[in-house]
Formats: sequence, structure tokens, C-alpha cells
Amino acid sequence: MSDELPEIPLIRVDTLRSEPTASWRVLKPVIDLEKCRKCWLCVDFCPDGVISKSEEGPVIDYRFCKGCGVCANECPVKAISMVREV
Amino acid sequence: MGKLTLLSGNKAVAYGVKLSRVQVVSAYPITPQTPIVEYIAEFVAKGELKAEYVHPEGEHSAIGAALAAALGGARSFTATCSQGFGYGFEVIAQAPAYRAPFVMAVANRTLGWYWALASDYSDTMTARDLGWIQYYVEGCQECLDAVIQLYRIAEDERVLLPAMMCLDGFHISHSSEPVNIPDQAEVDEFLPPRKVYDHTTDPDSKGYVFPVLPAPLHTPYRRMFEEILHRAKDVIKEVTKEFEERFGRKYGLIEEYRVEGADHLLITMGSMSTAAKRAVDKARSDGIKVGLIRVAFYRPFPVEEIRKVIEREGVASVGVVDRAVAHGTRMGPLGLDVLSVLYNLNGKVPVTNFIAGMGGDDVSVNDFMGMIDRLTKSSCPSGGCVRTVYIEHKPPKKAGLVEFKNTVYAPGCQLCAGCGATLVTRHVLRVIGKRSVLVFPPNCVSASIAMHFPSNWMGVPCVLANYAATGAYSRGLVRAYRVRGKKDVKVVAFAGDGCAADIGLQSLSSAAECGEPVLWITYDNEAYMNTGIQRSGTTPAKAWTTTTPVGTVWRGKREFPKDLISIMIAHRVPYIATASPAFLKDMEVKLRKAMEVVERGEGLAYVHIHSPCPTGWRFPESKTVEVARKAVLTGAWPLLEVDHGVFRLTVKPSKLLPLKEYVRLQGRFAHLSDGDVGEIQQVIEANWRRLLELHGKKLF
Repeated sequence: MSDELPEIPLIRVDTLRSEPTASWRVLKPVIDLEKCRKCWLCVDFCPDGVISKSEEGPVIDYRFCKGCGVCANECPVKAISMVREV
Repeated sequence: MGKLTLLSGNKAVAYGVKLSRVQVVSAYPITPQTPIVEYIAEFVAKGELKAEYVHPEGEHSAIGAALAAALGGARSFTATCSQGFGYGFEVIAQAPAYRAPFVMAVANRTLGWYWALASDYSDTMTARDLGWIQYYVEGCQECLDAVIQLYRIAEDERVLLPAMMCLDGFHISHSSEPVNIPDQAEVDEFLPPRKVYDHTTDPDSKGYVFPVLPAPLHTPYRRMFEEILHRAKDVIKEVTKEFEERFGRKYGLIEEYRVEGADHLLITMGSMSTAAKRAVDKARSDGIKVGLIRVAFYRPFPVEEIRKVIEREGVASVGVVDRAVAHGTRMGPLGLDVLSVLYNLNGKVPVTNFIAGMGGDDVSVNDFMGMIDRLTKSSCPSGGCVRTVYIEHKPPKKAGLVEFKNTVYAPGCQLCAGCGATLVTRHVLRVIGKRSVLVFPPNCVSASIAMHFPSNWMGVPCVLANYAATGAYSRGLVRAYRVRGKKDVKVVAFAGDGCAADIGLQSLSSAAECGEPVLWITYDNEAYMNTGIQRSGTTPAKAWTTTTPVGTVWRGKREFPKDLISIMIAHRVPYIATASPAFLKDMEVKLRKAMEVVERGEGLAYVHIHSPCPTGWRFPESKTVEVARKAVLTGAWPLLEVDHGVFRLTVKPSKLLPLKEYVRLQGRFAHLSDGDVGEIQQVIEANWRRLLELHGKKLF
């Protein structure tokens, strides 16, 4: 069994791999794009950096959103609501 | 008679300390020991234990203070494990010489080497030959009983040595069992108050021990120590016997389990003995004559006791199970010790040394069945065979991993939802970029790297520095890249407040004073969060933490936080700043200035970033940025910089918000009255006025 393991347990710098954290979520942020004024504060303040910019507005990567709700709390026009998921 | 309650091993230790009427407790957090000192803090806060409680800045000092309290004639206690044990090793080595008895609980955990959080004996085994008494418990009741008995044993005038009470991290420390808590009066009858000896360090004593001896006296004193430790066996036997008579629970140097007529004998220590006993029961019911010895007192080593059982029962093969490796000998320490026991036996008994449970890996009943099977099948015609077998398990595979290429940051870290440190780290990574190396002391962020194995969520090389040596690791890397001509590589130390303000301060100070071009980032969540919310040097006044709890005697932290910015100003480092994740542009500008200072080789650049922690500060996880913003706008976290000596407030609200807008968001301040808040506000306002006066001035 130890033969299968590399002698030096190398962590690669060029490729990062992450386990999705979607299952952590209780509340899910949902963006109302009609209300959104594209100030991108949610993109900046999302602790985990799972919100990105697009032409239509912010896009949430729900594979990694932990559902903390910082985006909804910071949204100046209340365009993000937290919807119960479980 | 006592009362039966469900207690974890750690809580049982704390009860043992309370019932032993310990007078001085010296406490520094480290997983998985921390709950011991947290429970004791609660006892003290509520007035249930009248003890002095010392909050030192690291284990070297924590153990030092406990030892010194024992020197000074008080009954003292401390607890540690793993890296903390390693850091305190110098004190541990010196302790026996003082002949000042005290008890140190060790919630055993791997000593990195590769780090792990759970139990093996690589920490305490490093101290097996130093002259301490070492006791390894099997369960929670024994934790409580061992503390009380160890004070009796250690304080006996025939012994007067420090005693280490070893409980397996997590397997015992965090597992609960029904525990009988004896009545205080019963314990008082068994354990008299701590005596003052002729050599107790005190102007009223006959004298004192200064632990230095001329060379020719070292060998005779080593001989004497050996005699004292072996004499301690008699005391151990007496004390455990009296304990059994009074409390009805039997302990001793070793525990014999179903050894009658055993052909095969397992020798174990600690929590795994319980699984081993179940395997013995199963094997016995299958007609296999196997028994078990659990070594409870590992030092002094029970040579005669083990030998007696092997001879008496005519044991044909011995399996020694080690939760440690003596690298370079192909064996574990217990295996080596048992070999020495067997040397003088007439018949040569084959020994199989099983190495199992390293890093906290579980050792199951099935594993022990396999070991017993090996013992029954081991043939050794010429006698005296010694084998070593490693009990290995396949690690669980992570499923559904998402790959990210050539990025400095990937989502998916295991830090809490709403974590301020995640937000800070993410933006720091974005600014410092790929040509950086991050140096981490242990903290939440580096723990999340460990949890990400075999990958990371940061696309730069990361170094895990030992807590107190973060500055030093950074300096070594700087010098290596300099000699290799890699001038563009930035070394970024990423420390929490516990490291920067407490345990790592001297190494930071040294790097700063020597002008080392390191970008030092302190992410300040105002307590030891990785170990679970213990007071640090930067915890605000009156804040609740688990080591400054709120009770009738204590009302949170008594002191004001350490001012690291002033400390850095005193070092005259070229760039100093505070930052906040609520003011990201301000933070980015400061990080870029700091990087330029480092790139130009001008010296250390210090950026101190507020990092609200929903878990530890007790606020909803959606409020992280709001809390950070309120801290700035109320003056609790002024945003400033000292650029080549010139002081400037970078965010200057025309009028501060009332402090309660910040404080009332957080549960850690829930116990404060409006008067308490007003008191803190006065200090903050005075500080703000001082900062306004400094604005634009050259400080050095």
C-alpha cells in the first residue's frame, strides 16, 4: 500500500482542486437581475469569491456558494434574497 | 459517593484539577487540549475554583509559569500537546531538576513532522527519558482519577517530580463517558494541601535549587534520578491502592486483562486498549488463549510487572502495539522497552511490534483481531524473533473535485461560511499574485490548507512555519531567493493575531528590527479562533472568549488589547498600515505600497487587517462586512498608515458612530451594560483624538 504513495507528498501549484461546498448551504442567494444595478459589491465582498461578473449581472457559482448571505446583506438595492434550500 | 455524569476526557481532567484544588493554572490553547483550560476558566470565572489563572503568550511560557508556580510552593497545573509540547520542550527537560511537583496534562497529538490533529504518542515519547512520571490513561474516568492520584504521587517526598498525564487526543479528550465525580470532601481526605518543602523557592525556606551542577556531579545525579523514579513505583503502588480502597476504582503501574494462561500477549497503551480488549474477548470466545497488558505508567517503566506476567503465564508470543515510531530502529519505543524486559527471560519469546494509529488513525477491533491472528501464526523455531508490522489503512478519496488551472485563488476552502479571513486572504492573494510564497504559522487559514490536501485553494507555494518562528521562516526564504537571484519573489508572512501579538512577536520583532524585506500580514480576528475562541493579546477589553468567560468573578477580558501598530512604529519599519475587508480599495492600495517597500528591499512592511469572525464574535455570518465597516466607522478599528514614518489616517469619518452600533452586533459583548460600552467608547474616542493629532506628522 505504501508503494502507491509518492515519497514526497507534493502539492501542485499550477492546478488547484476543490471539493464543492454547496451542501453547506441552508439559504441560497438568488439575484433579481431587474433590481441589480451592477455595482459589483457582491462580487467584491463574497468571502469565497464565488460571484463573477457577466453582461447580464452577477453570476453565482452555486457549486461553491456556502450560503453565508454577505452578498444579500451588502447589496445596496436589496436585489439579492436568501431563499431557504433545505 | 460522588455523582455520575457524562463527561469528555478533557472535562474530566478539568474536574480532576478542580477537585485537586489546584492553585495556579497556566493556560495556552492547542487542539485537542484546549477544552481542558476552557473548562477550568469557567470554574474560575464562576468562582467554583479559587485559582490564579495565567494567560501566557505560548507554551514555552505556559509550562514555564506552571513549573515556577510549583517552585514557589503552589499546586500548579498546565496542559499542552503536540507542537506546543515541542515548543515547551526546553522547560519540560528542565522541570525534573527543580524537584518541584506539578501535573501537566497532554492530550496526545502527532508532533509534526507532518502535522495532524489527532492522537499518537510522537509528542510525549520525546520526553520519555527526561525524568518525568508519565501516565497514559485509557478512558474518561481515569482522566479525573489520574489527576488526583498524580498530585499525591508527585508531591510525595519520596518522589517530588513533575507528572505528565497523557490522554489520547480526540479518542479520549473529545469522547464522552459516564464519569463518577467524587465529592470534594472525599478528595480532600485523600489529597492533602500542597506541602512547602525545604527547597521550595521562598525567602523563608532553607534553600533552593538552582539547576546547574558541575560536570562530575551529573553522572551521580542521573543515577540518583533513576533510583528516585524507581522508588516512585512503591509510591504509585501505595497511592493507587489507597485510591482503590477509598473510591473503589483500581489502578496500577499496569493493568492485566484476561492474562490467565495466555499463550499470546498483547501489550498496549491508552485508548486503543479498549478495542484491544474487545478483540481479546472475541479471540478468547474462539478458544484462542490471548491476554493483554495495558501499560498505564510508562515512566517509571514497569519492567518487573510485565516480566512477571510473561513468566507466570508462560506466554509464547508477545505483540507490542506502539502508537509511535523510534525512527532508525525499525521499532516503536514501547516495543524497544519490552524487548529490554524480555532480555533476561530464560525462554526467548518472539516479539511482534505493531505500529498502528499514527496521526490519530483509528485502530479497530478488527485490526486487533488481525494482530492476534498474526501472533498465533508467527512461528519462530530458533526463538527470539523480532518483527515489525505496520497496520495501514487506505485514506478516504475525495469525490467530485473541481479543477482550477493557473489561478492564484480557487473557491472551496473549508473555512466557515461568512469567514472574514477568507475574504481577506482572497483579496491578499489577488494583489500579491503568483510570484509570492506564503508563510503561515498555524491559524485557521493554514488549517484550511491542511484540510484541502492533496491540493490547495491558493495557487502559490505555502510554507507551514512553527508558530513562534514565522518571522524566521520568512527570513530564511528571503535569503534563499536572494542568493538564487530570484529578486521578484515576495515572501509574505500570513499570521493571525495569536502569532503576531503573542507567540510569534519576538520573531516578528527580530525580522522587523533587522530590516528583512518581508511583507507581514496580520489578519486579526481578535482571538485564537483556530483552537476555538481563546483570548489573545489583541482581544478587545471586556470581550467574552472561552478563556475569559463571563461569570460572577470574571466578566470577559480585563485588559485592553496590545497595540501592535505602536510596536511596529517603535521598530521604525518603512511601511505600517491597518486595513479592513470593508474598505477593499484602501486595503489594496496599502498592500501595493507594502509590496513596493519589500521589492525595493527597504525592510519589513507590516499590514494589520481586521478580520471579523462570525463564529467567534457571535454574529450572523451575513454580517461580516457590516461588522468590519462598523468597526472602522465607530473608531474601534481606525484605518491608518505610517509610510516611511509619516502617519496618516486613510479613512477619516467626520464624526464617529456610537460604539454600540458595532458592539451590539456581536454576542461576545452581549454581557456588557450600556455603562460598560460607554467606558470603552471613552477610550476609543481618546485614541481617535490622539490619532487626529498625529495625522500628517512624521513619527520617525
